[in-house]
Amino acid sequence: MAHAIELRGLTRWYGKRRGVLDLDVTVHEGEVFGFLGPNGSGKTTTIRMLMGLIRPSAGTASVWGLDAWRDAPAVHRRLAHLGSDPGYLGEMSASGLLDHLGALRGLPAGAWRSLAERLDLDPGVAVKKLSRGNRQKVGVVQAFMGSEPLLVMDEPSTGLDPLMQREFLALVAEARAAGRTVFLSSHNLTEVERACDRVAIIREGRLVKTATVQALVGDHTRSINLLLERPAPDGTFVLDGVTVLSSTGQDVHLMVRGDVNPLLRRLAELHVRDIAISTPDVEDLFFRYYDGSVAGSEGRSAAAAGAGASAEVLR
Amino acid sequence: MTALTFRLELRRSRVVALWLTVIVLAYGGIIAAMYPILKENSQLLEDYMKILPKELMAAFGMSGTLTDPGVFFSTYIGSFLWPVIAAMGAIILATRPVAADVERGWTDLVLGTPLTRTRSLGAAILAQAIVLALLAVAAAAGVLVVGALVGAEFDAVRFLAASVVFWLFACAIGGVTSFVAALTLSRGVAAGVAAGVLLVMYLMNIVAELQVDLAWLGDIGWSRYLAVTELIDTGAVPWTSVAVFGVVAVAGWVASLVVFRRRDLLP
Repeated sequence: MAHAIELRGLTRWYGKRRGVLDLDVTVHEGEVFGFLGPNGSGKTTTIRMLMGLIRPSAGTASVWGLDAWRDAPAVHRRLAHLGSDPGYLGEMSASGLLDHLGALRGLPAGAWRSLAERLDLDPGVAVKKLSRGNRQKVGVVQAFMGSEPLLVMDEPSTGLDPLMQREFLALVAEARAAGRTVFLSSHNLTEVERACDRVAIIREGRLVKTATVQALVGDHTRSINLLLERPAPDGTFVLDGVTVLSSTGQDVHLMVRGDVNPLLRRLAELHVRDIAISTPDVEDLFFRYYDGSVAGSEGRSAAAAGAGASAEVLR
Repeated sequence: MTALTFRLELRRSRVVALWLTVIVLAYGGIIAAMYPILKENSQLLEDYMKILPKELMAAFGMSGTLTDPGVFFSTYIGSFLWPVIAAMGAIILATRPVAADVERGWTDLVLGTPLTRTRSLGAAILAQAIVLALLAVAAAAGVLVVGALVGAEFDAVRFLAASVVFWLFACAIGGVTSFVAALTLSRGVAAGVAAGVLLVMYLMNIVAELQVDLAWLGDIGWSRYLAVTELIDTGAVPWTSVAVFGVVAVAGWVASLVVFRRRDLLP
């Protein structure tokens, strides 16, 4: 069975300017895959290559086993796309536009209606008269109105209000439940954390990390603050993956990486008055990758990875 | 899918088509209304024309007598109004699908569907050709209708045959502009290049008419081929014009399809 998306050594140069370099990404059928990176990191370049709009300088991009450039029309029968800033024809009404794009995808007229109602979109208004948020709703409706097995979306929730963002996440969840695959480029970390099974982080055109959201969070350090009834005996916290950052007798600050069970067993032997555990969210991890502390090291530096979280607890 | 795109392109062209058609019809009608006055005062006009240098008149397409229907139509419509209208219409329509739509991101949306690049641009080219045909027919129709009302006795078949040459000329501009637009993906650059080339060729023709030793310059410009005087006056079909404009139009469109199919689409 072919993967939904397979990028192998995917590279794109714009003259001497870097687009993306040597990307290797596999998106499995049925998963929601987040593609994280700030503006200019290469997300849109990658999606344009996936959509067959630009050719790779080197490497390959394939969708459902088909070459994204050479077999673009065949690929597009099996995917729906939403760009970051869709260039709609402003003079058309939302309904006319959705009907036209739907018809090009072989959908019947009005296939968008239930989604438009759900997102509270007025389809009779000319697109140029819609607010940024409402134009984005048109994009979301356009992406979800079909039943293509793959959805490729570039910054899909930009401009949506929090209620609509929640609705968007629900749509993604429904798509996954229906067995569809979603490739979601975003810099909305909360959205990615909530929606995605796996995440790839791209930095300056290079892939920094690919992991499940769970693993990305789980592999990293937790910050634990303990308030004990009485000081712990010497050597209590000498365990694999545990670092004592500070100890004033009863007040202990630990960093833990990996399995927390040995530490929990040890804590059970103590009289703990209070405990605070903080786990870094994807946002923390993302910024850590971006400030260079973990870049390319696959998170080897536990101390660096935990710094943000511990600061949060100690404040 | 191609039919859908074609219909949308026609719909998007209706404002351009409407305004240019109104201009062409109105101008042609006003000029045709003046024809009986020109005819009544033909001797006076001839005397006046003799004052002007012969070469200068030839340079601006005024050769022969203005009471002659072919000269009349060529002078007022063929050498003046039609090149401007054809250039405006062809440039607006030809730069839209391959340059303006790429710039605004519409191309990303339609090519995100199973629609192929060739079909997408092919449908736009077909719509372009039809709108230009409408304008070309309007260029003759305005003169013919008002001419009939004022008793000008213009030959409708020959005037409409002249509009076929006009149409091919407009298509040639459209073909070349489509090609430049596909190469540059910039509406401004493509429009500038097309308009610049037309202007340079027009000036070359003037120089060719004024300078005998540079007469060859006229052969590489459009002005010499946009000649319908003989067609209207004698019924002789200008096959060279038909061939030149036809070949340039088809070559331009085919080249634009080839380039558009193979190139990166970067807004």
